[in-house]
Amino acid sequence: MSNVLFQNDTRQPRRFGWGLTRAMSLSLTAFAAVVLVGMLVLFAMESAPVLKHEGVNYVVGKTWFFRSETFGVLPMIYGTAVVAGIALLLAAPIGIGAAVFTAEIVPPRVRMPVKLAIELLAGIPSVVYGLLGILLLRNYVYDGLRAAGFDPLSGDTLLTAGLLLAVMILPTIMTLSDDALRSVPSMSRHAARGLGLTHGQAILAVSLPQARKGLIAAILLAFGRALGEAIAVFLVVGRQDNQLPGSLFSLEPLISSGQTLTSKLGGAEVNIAYGDPLHWAAVVGLGLLLLIAVTVVTLVAAWLQREAAHA
Amino acid sequence: MYPMFRATLIVSCLLALAGCRKEAGSTTKPAAGSALKINGSTTVNLVAAEAAEILRAEKGMNIQIDTQGGSAGGISAIGDGLVQIGMISKHLTDDDKKKHPKTNFKTIQIGEDAVALIVSKDVWDGGVKSLTKQQAKDIYQGKVTNWKQVGGPDQRIAFFNKEPGRGTWEVFAHWVYGSPKKAPSVSFPEVGGNEETRNKVASTKGALSQLSSSWADQKTVFALSLIGDDGSTVEATEASIASGKYPMSRPLSLITNGEPTGDAKVFVDFVLSERGQALLPKHGYLKMSQLKH
Repeated sequence: MSNVLFQNDTRQPRRFGWGLTRAMSLSLTAFAAVVLVGMLVLFAMESAPVLKHEGVNYVVGKTWFFRSETFGVLPMIYGTAVVAGIALLLAAPIGIGAAVFTAEIVPPRVRMPVKLAIELLAGIPSVVYGLLGILLLRNYVYDGLRAAGFDPLSGDTLLTAGLLLAVMILPTIMTLSDDALRSVPSMSRHAARGLGLTHGQAILAVSLPQARKGLIAAILLAFGRALGEAIAVFLVVGRQDNQLPGSLFSLEPLISSGQTLTSKLGGAEVNIAYGDPLHWAAVVGLGLLLLIAVTVVTLVAAWLQREAAHA
Repeated sequence: MYPMFRATLIVSCLLALAGCRKEAGSTTKPAAGSALKINGSTTVNLVAAEAAEILRAEKGMNIQIDTQGGSAGGISAIGDGLVQIGMISKHLTDDDKKKHPKTNFKTIQIGEDAVALIVSKDVWDGGVKSLTKQQAKDIYQGKVTNWKQVGGPDQRIAFFNKEPGRGTWEVFAHWVYGSPKKAPSVSFPEVGGNEETRNKVASTKGALSQLSSSWADQKTVFALSLIGDDGSTVEATEASIASGKYPMSRPLSLITNGEPTGDAKVFVDFVLSERGQALLPKHGYLKMSQLKH
């Protein structure tokens, strides 16, 4: 399709440059794909012993006691889902709201500083977020929960990790949503205003629905980031194994500590596992699950973004 | 002149070869560049990092020091040849050696430290000053969950367990259960390094954890006395640790693969020298000459 653009272009150097860029991006993409598939295969091979040992119980088992060779990952999958879920629940409305503000409301002169300020949040190393989490957030959460009538054992809870992650994924949601909203043609907005809609109504009736796929993709990509974030979560999640609440809709996770796939992988257990084939396989299996989850989420997001671009 | 020149040439070639051979045969292979890499226990790190600072300044040595994974991290880093010196704050066990059969572990003890059971201020002020071995066991196994049950305030016990693989945890498990292997599987919130442990205990009500006794400052976190099976109370003081009376003490060691050579030897020798040993009391540990057992 892109070649059509240059069909009548006789300037050789430019055409050559275009071809080179194409070839390079193609080969680099292919390389990335090979690396990803290679990683999946390697991880699958390394984790084979535990899958043989535990079978499907590896994924649905509720207890992880490495000393008795029991490896059930469900509480960690649960922890990961809850932490990422809390983060999305908080960051998605704020991020999209901010994007509506920058893309639809403020003049371009104000837009860039606001956007830059939020994007700066993405540049802060996650270990710094983690330290801030230990210094401030876990104490606020502890005091806040107690004031609200809960009785948390400490400030290390799934809620704390979720709150911290919400701040960390905010720039991702905001920037991508901003792009999605700005790719809605102004023609649609003008038409809406011409029909007598107010600015606010135009945003609700035209811009947001048209950018819907892009917005969902933004949320999904942020979700992928939330799944994979390790250090900040590690420092405030409490790292307690085998934590499953009584029911799926229990408020317990908000006040109790837990373990995520990444916090387990970030811990000292990896060093102990090394050298014990079964334990090592169980640890690598966590990486495999994480990789699969992030890959699926990213692929769905990428597909949605493509759809959005073609719409 | 000519034969002499040839002889010198041959000798220098032989010397060079010998040098190469020694390099290649050296069991502590440098991982990258010429940096001396050290990894392991955060407890030993306090001393080692300061020794490294001195050697960097005085001898211009290139030393990289890290505390990935604590003692277990130090052992596996040595086992994998990633570092030349490991730092451990526990006894090297047969299990550790079995995991790395190709490694010729050499342990160089540089001092001794004690593990204390530490509590937050509210617990200390509430009157809990000591725990018996049985009480520690009951808390660890979840039979005792409130400080009221051990003579303290009516407050839930927030127990932060040191993550498995930490030297601190192994010393604790050794005291309570006789061996880390006999410790039951439990699920508690886990803490890693000493700094993190102290911060979390200090900022949580009803908190209890295991911590290197030198980090227990008696201001933000407080070390409990231990009551052994014979009923005698032992405080975590320097005297009781030196005499071997305090039950949760542990050696602080550097480990190498084979005899230390080159920069690694310089480092080990410095830590064992008078100036190096003086760094241990500075951080609340006992130096080799203080040990009476």
